[in-house]
Amino acid sequence: MKLHFTTTHEDHRVALLAALAITIHIIESAFPSPLPGIKPGLANVVTLFTFMMYGWKTALQVSLLRVIISSLLLGTFLSPTFLLSLSGALFSLSSLILTQQLFYLFHLTLRLFSRHGLSDNNYSQPGAIGYAIIASISHMSGQFLMAWYFFIPHPGLFKLLPILITFAVILGIVSGIITQLTISQLKRKQIQKSQLQPDNQ
Amino acid sequence: MVLYKSRLEVEMAIFKPADVFILLSACFLTAWLYAVFWFDNAQQGEADSLLIQLADNEPVEYTLSKDKIITIQGHIGPSLIEIKQGKARFIHSSCRNQFCVFHGWLTVAGDTTACLPNRVSISLKGTLNDYDAIAGGQ
Repeated sequence: MKLHFTTTHEDHRVALLAALAITIHIIESAFPSPLPGIKPGLANVVTLFTFMMYGWKTALQVSLLRVIISSLLLGTFLSPTFLLSLSGALFSLSSLILTQQLFYLFHLTLRLFSRHGLSDNNYSQPGAIGYAIIASISHMSGQFLMAWYFFIPHPGLFKLLPILITFAVILGIVSGIITQLTISQLKRKQIQKSQLQPDNQ
Repeated sequence: MVLYKSRLEVEMAIFKPADVFILLSACFLTAWLYAVFWFDNAQQGEADSLLIQLADNEPVEYTLSKDKIITIQGHIGPSLIEIKQGKARFIHSSCRNQFCVFHGWLTVAGDTTACLPNRVSISLKGTLNDYDAIAGGQ
């Protein structure tokens, strides 16, 4: 019997993005880290890109697929490493959603009080850099809290937190710039395309 | 106030106003973390008891609230351990190197010192650290 199921365009997109994220994740894990817990987190560029272009549902699928499949490939499935990776991914995505909603609320209040009205939510939403900083800080603190709560419940661990957060901010800015350049490049191409073929819209 | 002229310009901008706001908050958060966890010693774990372990025996627990000098008969001779004002230290040991004595006061929960020749180890216990770590991973 042949198993047959139909796939949509969205499924293909999720698969493509997840494959990209898994590849980056595995390449990254091959490099040694100067300090335990500090990684460039370039796989999160894909998650952030997905979040900003296609919304949180697609981003959630992509990041869950990345965490599960790359842990299966690296042999860390259901190990503490996997648990930390999963909690980091979930923490960062939920804080991204929270940030988006907060800035949307901020936009609504601005529109209430301004006479002319800011017509576009795009003006008040943060760009990729802001989101990347939020994502990397929450990723780091989520992992840190899990590590502290489950594996090393020692108050001395908190001495490490400021250093980790410093690196999270710096690496967040870097991955934010990468994401922003990707998105800008893509939008520029889309706009050029639509200018070339005005009938297609 | 018009920050951007067109929609295209909004989408091409590297830094948006909200980004600057988030970046500044992140810097403040980091500075606050340094202030709290590095320059405020009150955060450290309070110790409330002293554990003394001789060889492979079960550790014996002493409260830190009473000042006391304890004599432990180790493998090569006696060790003297002093408890004073919530701190503890070795004041005498029968070993040659006297590393345990030179270690000085144990003050924070989790602090540990040991005299290996005499097979005596002492550590401070707080309410938070029932164990050091759980190892795992690859």
